Amino acid sequence: MAKKILLVDDDPDFIEINKTILETSGYDIDTAGSSAEALAKVRSTHYDLAILDLIMEELDSGFTVAYGIRENEKTRDLPILMLTSAEEKTGFTFELAKDQEWMKVDDYAAKPLKPAELLQRVQKLLQE
Amino acid sequence: MATTEGKILIIDDEEVIRSGCRQILEMSGYSVDEAENGLVGLDKIKKNDYDIVLTDIMMPEMDGMQLLEETSRLQKEMVIIVITGYATLENAITAGRKGAYDYLPKPFNPDELLAKIERGMEHRLHLHEVQMLREERDRNMLECSNERARTLTIINSMSEGVIAINRQGQIVLINPMASKIMRLSEGRAIGHTFDEIIRNPDLKKSIVDSLQEVQEDLKTTRLQFDTIYGRAIEASITPIIDENKECIGTVAVLIDVTEEKKIEKMKSDFMSYVAHELKAPLGAIEGYLNLIIDGIMAGKPETEREMIIRSRDRAHALIALINDLLDLSRIDRKKSLKEMRDLDIGEVVRETVDFYRNRADSKSQILQLDIDDNVPVIRGNREDLSRLFANLISNAIKYTPAQGKVTVNVKRTNSHIRVQVIDTGIGISREAQKNIFDEFYRAQNAVAKKITGTGLGLSIAKKIAEDHHGYIDVQSEENVGSTFQVTLPILKEE
Repeated sequence: MAKKILLVDDDPDFIEINKTILETSGYDIDTAGSSAEALAKVRSTHYDLAILDLIMEELDSGFTVAYGIRENEKTRDLPILMLTSAEEKTGFTFELAKDQEWMKVDDYAAKPLKPAELLQRVQKLLQE
Repeated sequence: MATTEGKILIIDDEEVIRSGCRQILEMSGYSVDEAENGLVGLDKIKKNDYDIVLTDIMMPEMDGMQLLEETSRLQKEMVIIVITGYATLENAITAGRKGAYDYLPKPFNPDELLAKIERGMEHRLHLHEVQMLREERDRNMLECSNERARTLTIINSMSEGVIAINRQGQIVLINPMASKIMRLSEGRAIGHTFDEIIRNPDLKKSIVDSLQEVQEDLKTTRLQFDTIYGRAIEASITPIIDENKECIGTVAVLIDVTEEKKIEKMKSDFMSYVAHELKAPLGAIEGYLNLIIDGIMAGKPETEREMIIRSRDRAHALIALINDLLDLSRIDRKKSLKEMRDLDIGEVVRETVDFYRNRADSKSQILQLDIDDNVPVIRGNREDLSRLFANLISNAIKYTPAQGKVTVNVKRTNSHIRVQVIDTGIGISREAQKNIFDEFYRAQNAVAKKITGTGLGLSIAKKIAEDHHGYIDVQSEENVGSTFQVTLPILKEE
């Protein structure tokens, strides 16, 4: 059975791009455009991986989703790949997410990832 | 004959004594004046400055004792010697109490007279010196207190906080601004050590270091800290070094930089927001190009074409954003550098409406324009005002569905010109109306309907209206429509 991945981004183009790459490689893709939608989906559906956009709308960030995933008993072990177009040096980004035990992300990368690199990271997280 | 030796007044009712004395004194170089009784004498004393007054006691009209009382009130710098026929001790003491310096018993010979006068002159000189010294001292005291008051006034009026601390660590001066910054009354601070008064550890440490300063050249330490009341403070700590090159204390100058910090943060927030907004479309374009280059879409030319169109649209939106950013910085430029001229607002609006007519037609919208007669000219920058109306009209067309209607009115009231742009579009929620003029704010329903925009158009419009001493406001109901209204004052010729 194909592995199921949740793609979360408020930019429909990034959803479209990553969805196309992953679907071409045979993954089953679900999408969400806000953190509320994403959290509702992880609670009701089983995913093998979540790919989150770090900065979405104001007060609605990938951190919100990551925190929600780690906080919930059922989804605590869901692997998370955090993507962002924000500068790494803006400080509060990756380092924080990596170190905080309560919302540890498993991997992170700057957007956009080349198709081959995205697939490589996804495979690693899915232990394929 | 020298006459600069001294000026002497002789008061006696006996002409013989007066002329006798005059002869003796004039021969010794004194200049001499005469009066036949106390009253005449007093009058002369009031009008002239004498070094010595030689006066009889027993006289008609006003006697010597009365004269002494009167002259003591004049506060003149002179020596009074009384001549007395019956030289009793009692008379001499009374005269002395009343201000006489010496007495000359009758009868006297020329040597006795000259001796008394010389002694009187010496005393007179002495009195003069004392007076000079007293005046000088008073002048110095006045200068000192003036200088101190002036320095204190200057320190107390400074917009920087000043705290002076002595070598023992006691606060010896705190000006009102420092009291305000540190939230300390003068009374609570003066005499207390900085250790009990100042809470911030960094500031404390700098003061301790500064008090231990031994080197000759003044070394100022600068630091920044936040007070527990949330103010950002910049402090400069400088040791006070005396002439023996020893540190006798330290002075801390405090500047409240909270507002500057806020502006700095706003600027940097704006920059990072802009950076994100610029990177997102480029990232999307790059992502689509990756797919096409890697040949992932090779089998689906239709999807590939869609991706190319999406990339073009993102590039287009990015150009619009850059244009808006350039507009924003252009509008922010100094107003004095802008060309202001008399403008017919009706005409500016008409041109803008004509420019957007094609776009309205392509959405089958009605674009209507009503302009009042005799709208007066106002002074303004044509480019900016065109931009303002263009932003409102293009928004109205963009957020109004096909077949809708956009109406533009130009009206005049007594003192204002009012331009309204009324649409039958998606409207703006009450909540969003509060923020709609903020930079980068986009209403949720606009985003949800995937209507692209930079979030800068209305903030630009607001800036331009305010630059022209006017304002912009909005009335709107969701799914019914919005009315944006620009009010510009008609300024009288200056």
